[in-house]
Amino acid sequence: MKTPSSIVHPGLVLLSLVLLISGCGDRMVDGLSAPSYPQRGQVFIDDFESDLIYAAFGGSDVKAFQVDYETTYNNSRASMRYEVPDANSPQGAYAGGAYFSRAGRDLSGFNALTFYIKATQPATIDVIGFGNDFGTSSFQVALNALPVNTNWKKVVIPIPDPARLNGERGLFFYSTGPFNEKGYTFWVDDVQFEHVSDLGTCIGAMFNGEDRKVPTTEKGASIRIEGLQATADLPNGTMLTISASPSYFNFVSSDTSVATVSPQGVVQVLDSGNATITAWLGAAMARGSLELSASGTALIPTTPAPTPTLDAKNVISLYSNAYTNVPVDTWNTRWQYSTTESAFIKVGNDDVIRYYNLNFVGVEFSSSPIDATSMTHFHIDVWTPDPTPNPENVKVMLVDFGANGVYGGGDDVSHEITITAPTLQSNGWVSLDIPLASFSGLTTRAHLAQLVLSGTVSNLFVDNVYLYKTQTSPTTPAPTPAYPAGDVISVFSDAYQNVGGTNFSPNWGQSTVVSQVSIGGNATLLYTGLNYQGIELGSRQNVSSYGFLHLDYNSANATALQVFLISPGPVETAYTLPVPTGTGWRSVDIPLSAFAPVALTNVIQLKFVGNGNVYLDNILFRK
Amino acid sequence: MRSSLVLIAILVAGCEQQPVQTLPERTWTLTWSDEFDGAVGNSPDTSKWTFDIGTGAGGWGNAELQYYTNRQSNVQLNGDGHLVITARRESYAGSGFTSARLKTQGLFSQRYGRFEARIRTPSGPGVWPAFWMLGDSFADVSWPQCGEIDIMEQRGQQPAITHGSVHGPGYSGANAKTKSYGLMVGRFDTDFHLYAIEWSSDYIDFFVDDYLYQRIQPSDLSGEWVFNQPFFIILNIAVGGNFVGYPTTATPFPQQMIVDFVRVYTQS
Repeated sequence: MKTPSSIVHPGLVLLSLVLLISGCGDRMVDGLSAPSYPQRGQVFIDDFESDLIYAAFGGSDVKAFQVDYETTYNNSRASMRYEVPDANSPQGAYAGGAYFSRAGRDLSGFNALTFYIKATQPATIDVIGFGNDFGTSSFQVALNALPVNTNWKKVVIPIPDPARLNGERGLFFYSTGPFNEKGYTFWVDDVQFEHVSDLGTCIGAMFNGEDRKVPTTEKGASIRIEGLQATADLPNGTMLTISASPSYFNFVSSDTSVATVSPQGVVQVLDSGNATITAWLGAAMARGSLELSASGTALIPTTPAPTPTLDAKNVISLYSNAYTNVPVDTWNTRWQYSTTESAFIKVGNDDVIRYYNLNFVGVEFSSSPIDATSMTHFHIDVWTPDPTPNPENVKVMLVDFGANGVYGGGDDVSHEITITAPTLQSNGWVSLDIPLASFSGLTTRAHLAQLVLSGTVSNLFVDNVYLYKTQTSPTTPAPTPAYPAGDVISVFSDAYQNVGGTNFSPNWGQSTVVSQVSIGGNATLLYTGLNYQGIELGSRQNVSSYGFLHLDYNSANATALQVFLISPGPVETAYTLPVPTGTGWRSVDIPLSAFAPVALTNVIQLKFVGNGNVYLDNILFRK
Repeated sequence: MRSSLVLIAILVAGCEQQPVQTLPERTWTLTWSDEFDGAVGNSPDTSKWTFDIGTGAGGWGNAELQYYTNRQSNVQLNGDGHLVITARRESYAGSGFTSARLKTQGLFSQRYGRFEARIRTPSGPGVWPAFWMLGDSFADVSWPQCGEIDIMEQRGQQPAITHGSVHGPGYSGANAKTKSYGLMVGRFDTDFHLYAIEWSSDYIDFFVDDYLYQRIQPSDLSGEWVFNQPFFIILNIAVGGNFVGYPTTATPFPQQMIVDFVRVYTQS
């Protein structure tokens, strides 16, 4: 072991020079040895060990923990009791805290933390472990989702590499919330570090044991190694996986001129080339690896994304130089387990968002949710330098927080769309125009609050993120018909006296939204989100002496539209109308003979079937 | 070749290991062995081993769950001088697990002597590795009259404990004459251990790593001593069954039993 005198430290050298000059002589430092810590394993057997301090985590119920003298393991004197609060308890939303040693312990002679646990009901303890010292917590080990029940059971949490724990202060910690929204109580007893002789080998893992590939990274990039775990063979022959801090591992780069790894598990890319990063836990190589190929310079788009051309009044833009953008809280929420890094860069004069190390990234605008009920499409331009053959993909998810406008509450809905080749391309801008109707799980969209991007490509450039509607209301009214009034039975027109008492929105179970809008002062019938829609004439009409059904229609986004004439029975016949119409009105005069066998002496209803948004005017029978 | 081993002076109670065991010498001559030398992926020597295939009657009489095969994925040499038997969780021929069971039946059997194997055993709840023997009369008089000597049996949920047993008429199944031996430090699945019996007309001695932990004599048995005929050797991993209980979702698969060698001697 190194003694302080053998360590070359500029500060010390300077200090001894000063001391010599001032004539105070040398300090004797040779006799000093590294501090030694007590090799005690006990944390709580029948009472606290004397060096122990408890502190509750912020936001937790600070009174959740008490010493209990009634419910104890093996009839010992005392146990530790934890009262997990109900959901939304004013005292705190969860129970959590850490026990740490004032002085530190030498735990290198033990191989596991063990304790007994029981609860008032079957439940799951979210996190329990050791190594949390309210400081750097360099050697934290956490067991996640520990199932407990009403019987005492022994829990063994292995120490991934005991040799490193020779001055550990964090001896025990826990954190857990209500189970199914309800609080409960659990007890922990006989907490100690011990050497469990029949504990099997402990194998490490990085990236949860996956071999991760980053095919395109660049000089200067940094990549954090996630998913550090240790899997131990327990005395009962089962495997237990715990999450462990980077400090337990040694990281190795196959080419340190290309990439190095810090003790905290952050890979720094130094130069172009290939390198494989592996981790070692003790004497054994951990499962999983990181294989990276770095270029000397960043692979970024050379041309900006196509400039959007849609009229701003039909667009709700989140990110585009072409529009005024609505407020977005963040373009990288850094949710747990997200490895994604982001940067705002310029391509030419165009602002572009750059995502790298992408696994998934949240974009949140929940403080100003977007009402997209009148929108029809979601647009995003994406660019990736990564290979994109199937099944490589980019995924786009929209999340609506529902009527309560906040996360949770049971009314949140979302839907994810996966984009693959041939739509997805490498090294070229891909403009995605996704009909909101394709987000079938997004059953409401009045409170859009999140966009989640994910996929298998690790580099993604994003621009022109907006919602828009294709249907623009006609700028001019439908042409006014010029038929003599005596030759017309009018259903819907400003130019004639209409059949009285007509119901334009009978409840036939349709989802179409019917409204009347004024275009240039002319009342126009609008079907929004048409599936089908009926018109019940105020009185039955004998049109047998008339020649045509006339109507004017306009739809920029319908891909199907039919009109039906109906006589009792019902007897109905469809006539197909060409759509979409483009921006202008289309007038049709349909020979009534086309509706055979409908009884023209007794027409009672009309019906439209199709999709999209449809404007109608001047629905009338003429000679 | 080993030429000398030792005779008992002390019979030991319980599983606790005495610091020194003083045993008079016995002299052995090798009569049969398999060192499992061969290229990786090879099947074991067909002049020495044959296989049980399938599910047996009622899971080999124990409600075991595995389907035994002789596929490479269940049994092969590993190229490092070891035989590897692999138990897998997979759907195969109507069973939920596969494994392998090798035997020397019809190829080799011997009455009396020393039978030993150096094995790294598997573990996990419901995993049941064994190195054992049946009497040659198995085909004629059936079990348990034929006799059974279990040199090593383990329950995967107790990877630090091994069991040595004999079964015969009046003392079979749950009433077998048996003893357990536990490691004070470590487990049987992390390293190779030497499992052996030394057997003569009036005793069977059970050893782990040359430590004697059980002697069985005719007077210890509640029924007939049926161990005066040749016995053949069996190596297998069973999954589930009456001895070990059933695997759980937490049982890690695949599980491997790695055999360095099997050697048989006669006393000179």
